[in-house]
Amino acid sequence: MAQVTFLVKLIMRGSSKKVITKEDWEKRLNDVKIRKEDMNKLVMNFLVTEGFVDAAEKFRKESGTEPDIDLSTITDRMAVKKAVQCGNVEDAIEKVNDLNPEILDTNPQLFFHLQQQRLIELIRNGKVEEALEFAQEELAPRGEENQSFLEELERTVALLAFEDVSNCPVGDLLDMSQRLKTASEVNAAILTSQSHEKDPKLPSLLKMLVWAQNQLDEKAIYPRIKDLSTAKLEDPSAS
Amino acid sequence: MPSASPSTSSGRPADLVSRLASPDRGARLRALRELKNQIIGNRTKKLAYLKLGAVPAVAAVLADASDDGDGDGDGDGSCCCRRHDLLVQSAAALGSFACGVDVGVRAVVDAGALPWLRRLLVSPDEKVVDSGARSLKMIYQSKLAPKYDFLDHQNLEFLLSLLNSKNDNVTGLGASIITHSCQTSAEQWALYEAGVFQKLVDLIGGSVSQRDASLESLTAIIKNNHEVTPKILEFENGRALNLIIKFTIDKSPRTRLLACACLIAVSKTSSRYVEGIELESKLIYRLLELLEDPGQVGDEASFALSSLIEEKEDLQKLAFEANAINKLCFHLQNGLSCPKRLQGILQALANICSKLEICRSKLLDLQAFDLVSDALRHDCTDIRVAACICLRSLSRSVKNLSAGYFMNETVIIPLLQLLHDPSISVQLAALGAISNIVIDFTRRKSNFIHCGGVKLLAELSMAMDPVVRSHSLRALKNLTFLADRKCKEVVLSEITASALASLIRDPESAVQEQALALVRNLVDGCVQSVDYAFTENGIILDAIGRQLQYASKAEIGIQGMYALSNIASGSKVQKDAVMDQLFQHGGMNTQPFIMRFLHSNDNQLRTASIWVLINLTTSYCPGAAGRVLKLRNAGIILQLKSMVNDPCLDVKLRVRATLSQCMKYGDSTM
Repeated sequence: MAQVTFLVKLIMRGSSKKVITKEDWEKRLNDVKIRKEDMNKLVMNFLVTEGFVDAAEKFRKESGTEPDIDLSTITDRMAVKKAVQCGNVEDAIEKVNDLNPEILDTNPQLFFHLQQQRLIELIRNGKVEEALEFAQEELAPRGEENQSFLEELERTVALLAFEDVSNCPVGDLLDMSQRLKTASEVNAAILTSQSHEKDPKLPSLLKMLVWAQNQLDEKAIYPRIKDLSTAKLEDPSAS
Repeated sequence: MPSASPSTSSGRPADLVSRLASPDRGARLRALRELKNQIIGNRTKKLAYLKLGAVPAVAAVLADASDDGDGDGDGDGSCCCRRHDLLVQSAAALGSFACGVDVGVRAVVDAGALPWLRRLLVSPDEKVVDSGARSLKMIYQSKLAPKYDFLDHQNLEFLLSLLNSKNDNVTGLGASIITHSCQTSAEQWALYEAGVFQKLVDLIGGSVSQRDASLESLTAIIKNNHEVTPKILEFENGRALNLIIKFTIDKSPRTRLLACACLIAVSKTSSRYVEGIELESKLIYRLLELLEDPGQVGDEASFALSSLIEEKEDLQKLAFEANAINKLCFHLQNGLSCPKRLQGILQALANICSKLEICRSKLLDLQAFDLVSDALRHDCTDIRVAACICLRSLSRSVKNLSAGYFMNETVIIPLLQLLHDPSISVQLAALGAISNIVIDFTRRKSNFIHCGGVKLLAELSMAMDPVVRSHSLRALKNLTFLADRKCKEVVLSEITASALASLIRDPESAVQEQALALVRNLVDGCVQSVDYAFTENGIILDAIGRQLQYASKAEIGIQGMYALSNIASGSKVQKDAVMDQLFQHGGMNTQPFIMRFLHSNDNQLRTASIWVLINLTTSYCPGAAGRVLKLRNAGIILQLKSMVNDPCLDVKLRVRATLSQCMKYGDSTM
C-alpha cells in the first residue's frame, strides 16, 4: 500500500526519466505511514465479502476490528453459495428465499440462471425425461416472459440434443466453472440486498498499483512489483 | 422433495392451495413454504395460483396466525415458533404475489390482508417485521395499492414512525408509500410541515436502499410544488441540493438516475436553483451516459431526458451539442428487444426535434427516419403513439415538407392505417402527424388522396370522440390550404356539404372552429371555390351564419368571419348572400353578430370582421351601393367611424380602407 501512495506522489511530480535505486526506494517507502487500522479494515472487508466466516470471526477477536456487516448473515450467504457449488440448486433457491424473498423476485436474470443451473444438473445426472419436463415447464416461460433469455435458453436446451454431452459445442455448460459463475452471481445479489458492496476493496487497490506503475514506467526506472502475491521489489534495470 | 411438476396436471397446484386450509399447523406451514418457493421469480406460476384462489387462502393463514395471542393453549415453545414461521411465510408469499403483478396486488388488497400485514410491523420479532415491511413495500410499488391519506393526522404519525425506524425495510416502506401516494400540493405541504423531508434528507445519507428510496420520495414531494421546493432547497444552506447533486455521480447507476430525476423535478418547478450552476447541462450528459446501461436504468434514462428537454428550446440545443441525437439513433438502430426502451428513445427524439431544425436535419442525415416509420407498425400501442409524435416533430421541418420528403407511400400508408387503430390515443397521434404532412408544398397531395387519406379523414370527422373529430378536421383544413380545385372537390365530396354544415354546429367548440377553418380554406381563391359554400342550397353558408350568431368564443368568430370574407370576395350574388347572413339571424332585438364582433376586445376578431366589410363594399362589383346603404342603415358605418383610431394597426388600416370605399356612395351627415 505504501508502494501505491509513493508511486502516485512520484507521478504527480512529473520528472523526466530518472533512475531510482532500490536502496533509495526502500528508504522512501519507509517514510510513508500507513495506519494499521486501515489495513485491518481492508482485510476484514475481504474476508467478509468473500465469505470466510470463521476467519473473520477469529480476526475480529484477535485484532479488535469490527466487521461492517453482521457475521451471522455471512453464514447464511455461504450456505447458499456452497449449495450452488455442489449442484444443489433447489436447496440454494429455498435458502435464498428464506434469507430474503425479494432477491429472486426482483432479479429475473439471476433467477433464470439458477433455473438454468437446475436444468444443467438434471442433464448431468442423466435424468433426461425430467430435464425435458423441467425445460418445458420452468424455463420456457422465463423465455416468454423475457426475450433476452431466449438465446441462453436455446444453448442450454441444446445439451439435450447430444448423446455425448461432454464433447458437444455447449459442453462448457457442464463445467464446474458454470456452477462457480452462478454461485458468484447469487453471492453478489445477496450482498447487494444487504446494502453491502459486492466487490472487496483489496483488488481495487491492487489495480490502482498496477495502473500507477504503468504510468510511472514512462517517467522513471525504479524497483517495480512484478508479482502481486509476493509484493517483491525487483531491482531496477536500465531498459 | 418437490420435483418439477407440470402445473397443467390437475390436482397438484389445487391440492397445494387446499392444504393451506389444513387444520394442522405444520401442514399449513409446509404448504406455505412450497407455494412461496414455487412462485418467487415465476410470473407464470403466480398467475396460475392467483386463478386458483391462493391469495385469500394465504391471507386467511396470516389472519389466523396473527389472531393467536403469544403462546396459546398448550404453552408449547414450538407452537410460538411455528406461529412466527406462519407469519413470516404467509407475508412473504403475499409479497411475492404482489411483486410486479398487478392482478396479484389487487387480490391481496381485496383479500383484506393489508391490516394484518401492517400489524406485523410492530412485532417484537425482527424477522416478522422484515417480512411485513417487504410485502407492504411490494404492494405500494404498484399503482393499484390503496391511496394513503396523508392529510389524516394518525396516518401521518404512523408514516413518521416508519421513517424513524432503525430497520431498513421499514424506512423503505415509508418512502415507498410517499412515492406512491403523494400527489396533490396539499399532501406535499402536509408532508413538508410534518418534517418528513428532513427525515428523507437524512436517509439519503444512509444505506444504498434507503438512499434510493428517499431520492424517489423527495422527487414526489418536490414535483410541481412552488412552495415546498424552495424551502427544501434552502434548507441548511442548500445541503439537500448539494447532496442530491453529489449522487448524480455515484457508483450505482440506479442512484444516479434517481438523483437526476429529482433534479429534473427541481428544475421544472423552480429553475432559479439550477441557473448559474450549469446543472441542466450536466444532467443531460449524465442521462446520455445512463442510456448505455443495458437494464431498466437505461430504459428509464431516455424518459427522464425526454422530460427534461420538453418544451425547452435551449435545453434541446444543449442536448444536440452533447451529441444526443447520434446516441439516441445509435440505440434505435441496435435492434432493441425491450419495448419500454424503444418507446423512451422515440419520445426523446420527438422532444429534441420538436423545435429545432438542426435536430431534425441531423436525424434525417443519420438515416434514422426509416426506423421511426417502421415503429408505426409495432405491436405495442405506446410505441405506435411515440412514433407518430416523433413524425409530427420531424414534419415540422419546412425544408423537408417543401421537398416532399414525407408525402410518400412508405409514410402515408402506415399512418393512414393507424387511423383505424383500436386505440384512440394512436388515432390522435397519427392525426397530429398527418396534419403536418399534408401541408405539402410540392402539390403532391394526390399521393395522399390516392392512398384513401381523404376518405379516412372524412370518416373520422364523424367519430364519437370530439377530439378525434376536431383533429381530423384540422388535418383536412391543412390539406385544403392553397390546394387545387381537384383536391378541394375530393374533400367536399367525401365529407359532403351537409356533414360539414352539421360539424359547424357541433356541440364542441373546438370542432366548430376547425370546421369553419376548413370552409375558409375551401372557399379561398377563385369564384369557383367560393361556390363550394353554396352547394346543396347554400347549407354551408347558412350554417356559418347561424353559428356566428351564437358564437361566444373569439376563435369561432375569427374563422367564421374569414370564411365569410372569402365568400364575400366573389360575385354579386355571392356578396349579397353574405349580406343576408349578416342580418337575417337573430330576432328584432338582437344585435347582428358583426356589430358584436366589431366591439370585441380581440384584435384578430375585429380584423377579420373588417375584411368582410372591405370585400362587401368593394366598388368593382355591382350592387355595392345597395350593400353600403344597408350597412349604413344598420349603423355599421357609424361604428367604423368610431374605429378610425383603433389601437390595432391592422384594424385601423382596414377600417380606413373600408370607409374610403364607402365614401363613393355618399355619406349622410355624421
